[in-house]
Amino acid sequence: MDGLIKNADTINKLLARYGVKFGIYKNGEFKEQLFPFDPIPRIIDNKEFSYLEKGLTQRVKALNCFLSDIYGRKLIIKDGVIPEEFIYSAKGFLPPCDGVTPPKNIYSHISGIDLVQSKDDNWYILEDNLRVPSGASYPMIARELQRRSTPDTFLNNSVIDNRNYADLLKEVMDYVNTGGINVILSPGRYNAAFFEHSYLAERTGAILTTGSDIVCENDNLYYIDYNGKKQRIGAVYRRISDEYLDPMTFYEDSVIGIPHIFEAYKKGNVALLNAPGNGVADDKGIYYFVPKMIKYYLGEESILLNAPTYLPYYEQDMKYVLSNFDNLVIKDVAEAGGYGVVFGNSLTKEKKSEFIELLKKEPRRFIAQEVIDFYDLDILDNGERVPRKADLRAFVLSNGETKVWPSGLTRFSRNPDSFIVNSSQGGGFKDTWVLSR
Amino acid sequence: MGIITLEKSDHLFWLGRYTERVHTTLKMYLKSSDRMIDSDPNYYAEYCKKIGITNIYGSRENFVKTYPFDESDPNSIISNLNRAYDNAIVMRDYIGTETMAYIQLAIDDIKTAERGDTPLADLMLAIDHILAFWGCVNDLIDDEQIRNIIKLGKGVERIDLYLSLNRCVSDIQKEYRRMKQFLAKSLMRYDESVLYTMDNMLSQYEFDYMNVRNLLRNLFVVSQ
Repeated sequence: MDGLIKNADTINKLLARYGVKFGIYKNGEFKEQLFPFDPIPRIIDNKEFSYLEKGLTQRVKALNCFLSDIYGRKLIIKDGVIPEEFIYSAKGFLPPCDGVTPPKNIYSHISGIDLVQSKDDNWYILEDNLRVPSGASYPMIARELQRRSTPDTFLNNSVIDNRNYADLLKEVMDYVNTGGINVILSPGRYNAAFFEHSYLAERTGAILTTGSDIVCENDNLYYIDYNGKKQRIGAVYRRISDEYLDPMTFYEDSVIGIPHIFEAYKKGNVALLNAPGNGVADDKGIYYFVPKMIKYYLGEESILLNAPTYLPYYEQDMKYVLSNFDNLVIKDVAEAGGYGVVFGNSLTKEKKSEFIELLKKEPRRFIAQEVIDFYDLDILDNGERVPRKADLRAFVLSNGETKVWPSGLTRFSRNPDSFIVNSSQGGGFKDTWVLSR
Repeated sequence: MGIITLEKSDHLFWLGRYTERVHTTLKMYLKSSDRMIDSDPNYYAEYCKKIGITNIYGSRENFVKTYPFDESDPNSIISNLNRAYDNAIVMRDYIGTETMAYIQLAIDDIKTAERGDTPLADLMLAIDHILAFWGCVNDLIDDEQIRNIIKLGKGVERIDLYLSLNRCVSDIQKEYRRMKQFLAKSLMRYDESVLYTMDNMLSQYEFDYMNVRNLLRNLFVVSQ
């Protein structure tokens, strides 16, 4: 460990050298900045990882079953497990996807599940990300560079190599590919996660595209080369949001989508990873129901716990939320990236009453959760080890079988008073070691 | 990789052009700075005229201080390097992270040189990293077409700059011969009649530099 700490600056310099950056817009201006890396890894021993692996596999299997059901027979609604208004009012429920089955019936190929470990040693799921979860490339390249700078650390610790993420991703793309090449569809250079798009393209051998060189003809997708020759596309790992994917089906003013791509997908001629419409399953309101989904589809009790959550939509929960407002964190279900998160005790009296009015007016828009007192992880701050809040994004890949990547993205807050770990809000990242023993 | 689209070929070509522009202008800047120490203090004005950039500098000191470093000046060396980076970053899957890194390192060199006590000497590191970038292009990029499109861009830019800077005929003829090899291997479309005329002109002992520059600019203007 000492070697890693000693070489922290070297790693950050190497990360800069390889362009490991993310983009943000500040005052309407695009800026690229380095994603601060902390050398002290999160360490998960093998027994604990096996437990997480089981829980995460179970959860993602159930979420895939849910998506298949909700865009199919909707039995979970008919059986009264989830109220239908929760489905149909979810921003991520996309009516055009109703009745559409993706290749191999897989909806969430790459799932990013955010967890924290509380001080009672329990792991809690904070949220599921089933649309375009990002972040796997950062620990992957950081590990590569750490192994180069402090090889002895890895010689003396039984750390499972995490650099196979690109291979796992390629396997997933190949598995659902309908015949043709794999491409990674990016909104382009000025997207926050462009480094990841380009790095994963390089590592998987997929072609990185912004869509300008793709056409849809006769419900098939083609990539057009310099001489006008067309090559069929069988799988698109798309890193653009559902609403921008196809101006003919979704947001008609989208200039980053591919016209008619949804038709090609609907006909089964191309795989889209992840499937459009997944947003209904990672809606913060639907999160509440995931343990019920696990019971309903798999007949099992949920292995991993949800953070204790209340839906102001239910009268009883509303009462609880109002009487315990100061102890809860309230989340706007439509927001992401650490935005729309309000800690009850942080509001002034005036703001609090304004917020409660809004809550009563739009109860479906919010969820409330107990604030989990989760473990701090040490980070290095000007040479000193200091504790900071950190979460873990685990990556689960589905290609017929469901696999948990033996690593993950551990994000931390650099602000000692903050629980928000998102990179867009100044957070950093560390490597996640899974031990083979 | 095997599939090169119009957009990607454009990025590769301009990646070659901008890296060459940075390489040659950095070398010229170092030479010019030396010349301005004692023999010709106002040489910067002539330099600007030769390479066709607006002389916004006003003094030798200002030129020396800002021409390589000023990111708000679109003609500065760092601005050209940033454009090379813009073209490289979208081609990571074709040129590779390792190759791309040398552009980033050259950017860092120029920024470090600006802050340092010996900026001119420190800028030599940027030249080293541009050369390392080309080494990687040769060594790490397997696809011959990708390699040759980058080199074609580099060759075209070098001839253009050499013509602007009034380099000797033999230098230009040498670079032209090299550029033609890359052109053939790049499989890029070009105007054969323009190339034919250039062949004829450049086989002479003397030719009009401005005419050759104009022809060079029209080499890739072909009807679809």
